[in-house]
Amino acid sequence: MDRRTVLKGLAGAGGLALTGLSAPAIAQGAAARTLRFVPQANLANFDPIWGTQYVVRNAAALVWDTLYGIDAQLQPQRQMIESEETTDDGKIWTFKLRPGLKFHDGEPVLAKDVVASLSRWAARDPMGLMIIAIQQELTAVDDRTFKWVLKQPFPKMLYALAKNNAPCSFIMPERIAKTDPFKQITEYVGSGPMKFAKSEWVPGAKSVFEKFTDYVPRQEKASWLAGGKNILVDRVEWIVMPDPATAAAALQNGEVDWWENPIADLVPVLKKNKNISVDIGDPLGNIGSFRMNHLFAPFNDVRARRAVLMALSQEDYMRAIVGDDTALWKPLPGFFTPDTPVYSELGGEILKGKRDFDAAKKLLAESGYSGQPVTCLVAQDQPITKAQGDVTADLLKKLGMNVDFVATDWGTVGSRRAAKTPPGQGGWNMFHSWHAGADCITPAAYTAIRANGDKAWFGWPNSPKTEKEITAWFDAKNLEEEKAAIGQVNKAALEDVVYAPTGFFLTYTAWRKNVSGITKGPLPFFWGVSKSA
Amino acid sequence: MLSYILRRIVATLPVMAIVALFVFSLLYIAPGDPAVVIAGDQASPEDVERIRQSLGLDRPFLIQFGSWVWRILHGDLGTSIFTNLPVSAMIGQRLGPTLSLMIVTLLLTIVVAVPLGVVAAWKAGSLIDRAIMGFAVFGFSLPVFVVGYMLAYIFALELEWLPVQGYTPLNQGFWPWLENLILPAVALGCVYIALVARITRAAMLEVLQQDYIRTAKAKGLGQGGILFIHALKNAAVPIVTVIGIGIALLIGGAVVTESVFAIPGLGRLTIDAILRRDYPVIQGIVLLFSFVYVLVNLMIDVIYTLVDPRIRY
Repeated sequence: MDRRTVLKGLAGAGGLALTGLSAPAIAQGAAARTLRFVPQANLANFDPIWGTQYVVRNAAALVWDTLYGIDAQLQPQRQMIESEETTDDGKIWTFKLRPGLKFHDGEPVLAKDVVASLSRWAARDPMGLMIIAIQQELTAVDDRTFKWVLKQPFPKMLYALAKNNAPCSFIMPERIAKTDPFKQITEYVGSGPMKFAKSEWVPGAKSVFEKFTDYVPRQEKASWLAGGKNILVDRVEWIVMPDPATAAAALQNGEVDWWENPIADLVPVLKKNKNISVDIGDPLGNIGSFRMNHLFAPFNDVRARRAVLMALSQEDYMRAIVGDDTALWKPLPGFFTPDTPVYSELGGEILKGKRDFDAAKKLLAESGYSGQPVTCLVAQDQPITKAQGDVTADLLKKLGMNVDFVATDWGTVGSRRAAKTPPGQGGWNMFHSWHAGADCITPAAYTAIRANGDKAWFGWPNSPKTEKEITAWFDAKNLEEEKAAIGQVNKAALEDVVYAPTGFFLTYTAWRKNVSGITKGPLPFFWGVSKSA
Repeated sequence: MLSYILRRIVATLPVMAIVALFVFSLLYIAPGDPAVVIAGDQASPEDVERIRQSLGLDRPFLIQFGSWVWRILHGDLGTSIFTNLPVSAMIGQRLGPTLSLMIVTLLLTIVVAVPLGVVAAWKAGSLIDRAIMGFAVFGFSLPVFVVGYMLAYIFALELEWLPVQGYTPLNQGFWPWLENLILPAVALGCVYIALVARITRAAMLEVLQQDYIRTAKAKGLGQGGILFIHALKNAAVPIVTVIGIGIALLIGGAVVTESVFAIPGLGRLTIDAILRRDYPVIQGIVLLFSFVYVLVNLMIDVIYTLVDPRIRY
């Protein structure tokens, strides 16, 4: 008998007798059918269209299904769809749903549900908005068929419906999907492989998903969001742990089974544990960034922006973010996710080779910079942004710039960066962020690469040549055309310094060895994951 | 006494109203925007603005405040901006773990600290006294999270006696409930045990020098009787005061403890709400905490009359 048993006996003898706890063997069985997962962040809301945080998208992928799903080759594959047809001119798309699809409330999935869901999604999604802009009508033809009629072709239609970038085009019952896209839904009924146990939801602490027994998976092998989504456990519990050390300890102790994103500092400890597997979680990784405000001096002058690019060391940024594990990062002479089909380094020379501070200082002087404060916003409560901010402050000082380092929290950075007022009046000159590599494969969901002035992301870059090449990508009809367009986007965006990429980095995921079936991907996929006792 | 208690409770209402106005104003002028957090990092400024409008955050201060007060007066703490759940339900969900943690910590504090303080006073100047006071200084100096990590490492990871994290409601069994609370309660209790032990020692030292104690000794009364019947009761007022203040301070300590041990209590809810700028939740929690402070003070006053009959209201 170990000490824990003695303690339990001493402290709980009366209580155990009173409460009639389950016998250990039964508890073991139940534990094996429940997968306990520590997500990257708290699931604070659960409307994947209203709130577009990654954690919401990840949870939503369990509950709501999509018409198409992107696979590991980054290709859209049919998911809820049985067949599709498009006219020769590419203006009319007709889709047919798979038979037998059911929502969690037992109701069948009908074309009218799809029409309402796509309408809500399109109002909030960048690609959806592009489709709405050329939409003639979106209608249900019969219970299983719907039609999307466009005024001009949209070659990326299937990609838009399949993409994993938030917001995904999740299908909800019509009554729910009719909710204003800027207001939250209150019912979480989907047709995905798991049901959301709303009664067990403790926002900020725990979210529970139960296997949807009426779900009919596709026959194809699962591949990211495509293929057969076979759930092999009864329950998946998401347990939020704000403290990484606690999450590491809980994983080592067997209190949780899978930790989505262990911090680099704790990975060596986890790797030493014989019961734990550690591997790269998302092969598409992340792209570090800081954005300069193109509206105000000094960064309204492209020479000042280029001066910073000439001097910055991506190695410094990457080591600050992921430590000395060189397997976790690589330099990135551009904006797009490495090792993806249309990746390009065209025009990336400015980020390569030895850093030239003398030339950078000269260029900065030519831009007219005369020592005015440069307001640098840094969210201290996010380790990645904090690490980057420290490196940037050092970089700017070495360039002879007067840094006004504003260390604050993410909530404040998030609201202040929206201010278009001058830096001295509540505005800013630069802030730090990072982008999921999955969002940066093409311009489809890559908000940060857009350079359409007032309509662009914070920093409001205005680069007509970048925008022209982005349009060329959207119009591309084959992979070669896409590659050519992406190369030109990269070149133009670097010339005008739409933003400063600080490198490409990967993160780990860790799980107990009695869990199997975990695959690498841009989000945690629970289908095919099983757990032994 | 009953009319005194009622008067005190009624007197809390203006206090809470002032606290409410203060908190609401502070949140209004503080930087940060929940719409930004909701929209996510890739959202456009237009999306953020639409969300602000849908949440009513673009309305003038007085209208927002007036509407909030109106809801409060009707017993409605509002709805969380993020979860769309009633604030009262969210607080209700989180109350159990925090109350459990506070109760276990408080019991642990009383059971350990009071006897330690009494013994230290009785053996004043001895090695035992110095050891106890040394422990008290040590306990008082260590931050809660350091003690927490140390305890988790030793008792959860190395010895595997207790779980690292989590909370199990009492209705699922006494031991499952208690095993999750032992480490956090010890971590949180260290500071309070040290504080209460020191106060107990000081109060006891003063009482032990009184004539009636000498008389009791002269009459041949046993050590236990002198210490715990005659002396402790007369030293109880400052001890009760510091325990009472400790309850209020425990709320603050719970914020860190709940994060370290992943306990889904009010402390974590508070931090999450502040980081997300979830105004209705922050306001609801502050109101609750204000009420608890007032109530604890009231309870202390009532207990005074029980331990010292000379005190009358």
